[in-house]
Amino acid sequence: MEAPPVTMMPVTGGTINMMEYLLQGSVLDHSLESLIHRLRGLCDNMEPETFVDHEMVFLLKGQQASPFVLRARRSLDRTGAPWHLRYLGQPEMGDKNRHALVRNCVDIATSENLTDFLMEMGFRMDHEFVARGHLFRKGIMKIVVYKVFRILVPGNTENTEALSLSYLVELSVVAPAGQDVVSDDMRNFAEQLKPLVHLEKIDPKRLM
Amino acid sequence: MGVTCVSQMPVAEGKSVQQTVELLTRKLEMLGAEKQGTFCVDCETYHTAASTLGSQGQAGKLMYVMHNSEYPLSCFALFENGPCLVADTNFDVLMVKLKGFFQSAKASKIETRGTRYQYCDFLVKVGTVTMGPSARGISVEVEYGPCVVASDCWSLLLEFLQSFLGSHTPGAPAVFGSRHDAVYSPADTMVQYMELFNKIRKQQQDGVIDEARNSSSRLK
Repeated sequence: MEAPPVTMMPVTGGTINMMEYLLQGSVLDHSLESLIHRLRGLCDNMEPETFVDHEMVFLLKGQQASPFVLRARRSLDRTGAPWHLRYLGQPEMGDKNRHALVRNCVDIATSENLTDFLMEMGFRMDHEFVARGHLFRKGIMKIVVYKVFRILVPGNTENTEALSLSYLVELSVVAPAGQDVVSDDMRNFAEQLKPLVHLEKIDPKRLM
Repeated sequence: MGVTCVSQMPVAEGKSVQQTVELLTRKLEMLGAEKQGTFCVDCETYHTAASTLGSQGQAGKLMYVMHNSEYPLSCFALFENGPCLVADTNFDVLMVKLKGFFQSAKASKIETRGTRYQYCDFLVKVGTVTMGPSARGISVEVEYGPCVVASDCWSLLLEFLQSFLGSHTPGAPAVFGSRHDAVYSPADTMVQYMELFNKIRKQQQDGVIDEARNSSSRLK
């Protein structure tokens, strides 16, 4: 059973429903520098931030048709940073005019024994990967340009190989439910990145 | 946080829970401890829903989700004899999403509430353990702030506990046992509270069974 559908109401049962608004695109390796250059100009002035993260995707299978998915992410280059557990709901099907993909999200910072704990709960790891790239911010918008690396030996994050010759570009905002104006701001920002990269709403289901 | 010992204070003969708590707090005040606000530790129990059991091939496990007012932005999730996860309060939101897989045993929400007392380097919390509307027992938590290694300060803690608990002084908590030189952490305190709550819950159940047995034998 999927979680009860998250309505447009911002508050359910005393907690605020946070939604992730997402636009995605990609650039080939040789176009990375020009994209980074443009982003540095458009985004908030800050030290260029790079990251190396290891993400593991866990599934809990029940009698229901679709398993419950949780993503556990940890930083490989920042020691002492907490682990990040993320739940992403199904994309809200609704307004075709909405410019971004919208889905419920719950972000939790946890201690380091997260994987042991998830296994104890009954979750099993489905797949893992390493993401290496750059992070930019513009107000509440977050732009990440990163490359996905396949892990060759399970658990060994040193030995990886790139999945493709391109970088994934994601523009996302996490905001309380019901604030669709956010997707308009995202669309306007995405316009400024054309023709270097075309950011669009990509429905994950269509890819499967 | 410093090394902490959580124990249960039995209710005094012929007195109620509230009266025993008052006796204890009066003793602490006479020692010279200062009242410093209140505290609350609560615990909810979840068990794996029947639908997930088949695929796991194991007996349903109990998961405890606890909160401690001393760490208001944190949530502790633990399994008995298993790992204790320290997370932020969004973990409660996640448990709502996991409703289909983990069911909350509503009746078993247990909590302890009471006053905090500061006495030099010791922080003492005396609380009334309640399940629903009724008081079920008394919890006593003593923290020795300056030290984070259990084996270094247990004897000092014991001496202090004896000074106001007298014959009800507990033995060394099980969490100290295995890792003598490990740094003490808040998760260890939550494990102690979980064990205390389980003990009180069991006492409650045994009490009910004994009463039923006594009343049925009286009827014969």
